[in-house]
Amino acid sequence: MIENLLAVWVWLCLLVFTGGCLVRAFKYATAPVHLRWDLYPVAHEPGRDHGGSYLEEKEWWTKKREKDHLAEILAMAAEILLLKGVWENNRRLWWASFPFHWGLYILVGTTVGLTAVMVGLEDSFVTTVLAAGGVIGGALTSLGALALLVMRSIDPKLRPYTTPLDRANLLVLVLFGALTVVVAAGIPGMAGVPAGLLSMLSFGEVTVPVVWALQIAVGALFLFYLPLTRMVHFFAKYFTYHQVRWDDQPIEENPKMASRVQAALGFGVDWSADHIGAGKTWGEVATTIPGSEEGEK
Amino acid sequence: MMEGPRIRSREEMSTFLTENEGVDVTRLVPLPFPYEDWHDEPVPPLTQSQLERIETGPDGVAAAQIPVAESDEERERMVASFLDGLRKMLTKENNWTFLQPLMLSLDNCVKCQTCADACPIYTGSGEMEVYRPTFRAETLRKIVDRYLKPGGSIFPKLRGNDIELDWDIVVRLAELSYRCTLCRRCAQTCPIGVDNALITREIRKLMSQQLGLAMPELHEKGSVKQLTVGSSTGLNPAGLADIMEFAEEDIQEKAGLDIPIPMDLEGADYLIMHNAGEFLSWPENLQAFAIILEAAGLTWTLSSELLGYDSVNYGLFYDDVQYSRVALKHYEVAKNLGVKKMLVGECGHAHKALMPIADRLIPEELRVRTESCLVVLEDLVVNEKLLLDPSRNDFPVTLHDPCNISRSMGINQPQRNILKKIAPRFREMEPHGVNNYCCGGGSGFAICSSLNFSEWRTRVAGRLKFRQILEAFGDEIGPGTKKYLCAPCSNCKGQMRDLINYYEAWDRCGILYGGLVELIVNAMVDVREGFIEWEMH
Repeated sequence: MIENLLAVWVWLCLLVFTGGCLVRAFKYATAPVHLRWDLYPVAHEPGRDHGGSYLEEKEWWTKKREKDHLAEILAMAAEILLLKGVWENNRRLWWASFPFHWGLYILVGTTVGLTAVMVGLEDSFVTTVLAAGGVIGGALTSLGALALLVMRSIDPKLRPYTTPLDRANLLVLVLFGALTVVVAAGIPGMAGVPAGLLSMLSFGEVTVPVVWALQIAVGALFLFYLPLTRMVHFFAKYFTYHQVRWDDQPIEENPKMASRVQAALGFGVDWSADHIGAGKTWGEVATTIPGSEEGEK
Repeated sequence: MMEGPRIRSREEMSTFLTENEGVDVTRLVPLPFPYEDWHDEPVPPLTQSQLERIETGPDGVAAAQIPVAESDEERERMVASFLDGLRKMLTKENNWTFLQPLMLSLDNCVKCQTCADACPIYTGSGEMEVYRPTFRAETLRKIVDRYLKPGGSIFPKLRGNDIELDWDIVVRLAELSYRCTLCRRCAQTCPIGVDNALITREIRKLMSQQLGLAMPELHEKGSVKQLTVGSSTGLNPAGLADIMEFAEEDIQEKAGLDIPIPMDLEGADYLIMHNAGEFLSWPENLQAFAIILEAAGLTWTLSSELLGYDSVNYGLFYDDVQYSRVALKHYEVAKNLGVKKMLVGECGHAHKALMPIADRLIPEELRVRTESCLVVLEDLVVNEKLLLDPSRNDFPVTLHDPCNISRSMGINQPQRNILKKIAPRFREMEPHGVNNYCCGGGSGFAICSSLNFSEWRTRVAGRLKFRQILEAFGDEIGPGTKKYLCAPCSNCKGQMRDLINYYEAWDRCGILYGGLVELIVNAMVDVREGFIEWEMH
């Protein structure tokens, strides 16, 4: 019975997590085209490590514009894997944030590995690695979250901006990481874990130890509320970098964008200030100067 | 114990002001030699009669000059309108221009405070909480979460949405949106890519487009005047003709050259777009451009059409509609004149307004190629199309990078390549280029000197920049060595002038400021020696 309830909880959380993330991502992905708001350095500018752009070229429009996609990937990799920005600009936080993030990365990898074993990959070496992943990932997550919790509680720059829910979230992660260590360390070679998990998730006959059940329930809880929080930056970062900071594409290179702008100029405007002259489309408002003798243009 | 991120109540404000908890000048970042003994005058509080008419920010400073509401009904109506505007700001119809970046920045800040140390105003002020980049952004996020999102009032304390919105908070938030120069240094350091400066701009925009409230120098005396008179300086075409006539005479007198300044020359290679502030405050800048373009044999022209002779576009700082109107007019003028290209003069925000931001707004039929003057000047200097004698510039020179050109457009190297050719004693500030500090006059601050704002601007907003300047010249800081602070941007120059005056840096250190073209002309062999006049103005 408890195992069945646990399975329902896990599936529900997975559903909310997936749906929530999709909704948030959809919101960003379907936002209308915006005016350029690039910010330098832009990673894909080749040979411009000083933070330059193609606008440094005389008659830039006559030159073939090149994008260094590898540099873009490397820049993102350094951000995601090394937390480069935090290292350079907020070193003290990095010592807590880096292990915390790597703990989560390892746990995500471990979960993917477990899923692979559950669906058929049989290898004792793999399960041993997964057990190690559980211990190391859990420990890093728990210790990192604990360090963040302490910093957010005592650091005068962080404390005023930390809400009770922020603290609760970190507590959940401290607990989840610790439980993961206990579970992964307590079952030599993860014996029976993949099969047990599979059985539980498919509402089969299985007995799940209390610590294990607790670990699963807490992990699922984290997934449940994650899309409602600012932690969606794990995918939102794609948009902030690629569709804002590094979006330096001139419109003439992108006819689709031009038609999207054209559509936006047809949107109705109803800002209330007198100088706007609401009740018209964007295109009309932008070409009308209220109070001018001609009225139009 | 430190206070949470809240804006003080009206009652606390009076205590705040009387106890001088506004801008504590003793907390400002200290300055190096010869300023160890420098004592800053306090930012003066507003007088009682001013306070009866005008709202102030939580630091006792007034920039937006928001009138004091006359009744509770008016205050309630304004709060309701603010919330209505906030809703509009999150719709694609009303805010397609910046909706995606805004949503991303509202939704994803993890409050790690990495941005705080990057902010020259927050750090320069001695870390005054209300200037922290996340302070105003978090306040707006709280309002959005509390009042616009479903279930926002459920467990507000638990979720950190414990804000009770009233007119005082709206006013203080609006005022605080004018304590950030939109330099975007905070955004540059954000590991997630959140842009709290954009949020600041969006607050200004909401106040302007919804409530009709904006810093008067940007709106009534800025974009509104520009759209009706032709220039935010009030300069009309007849006045422009007079100034150009004077400029021709001045070039003859100073440089010994006869250079006619072409006006409305159809089909020219370049329509040069100057910030009209240059014409009135720094005419040597437009004269230097004329000398260089003529010497290079380029065909160029100025325009006498309304807006065609003033490249400023203050809408960039506070209002998308006003921005769009001015930008469209600029391109219309260039198109009608049939010029091949627009050349943006030494004005940072005009660069950004005419180039990247306008890129997606200008319809195809109005498009004209637009280029930065720095790039064209680099071609002329580096490829030796001008006869130059760098020994004429044998004095210490440092370079200020205008944020809109360096950080927002990535134009960093051309100006350095020029200086390496013409200024043998050029030295960099630290940090510089794309990582520069704002001068403290960005986003329209340099043109605002009303009430007590200029005192705030020189003491707080420009503090780190001034320290940088002193450090750059540290090895020759005495007044006996004349030094040149090169700031290729009109608004930055306005701020440099005010910094040098307030800190008495001409008398104490011999620091003069000016543009880049003046330095080039000063080194031109064909020009009479001494184009740069070593007088503080």
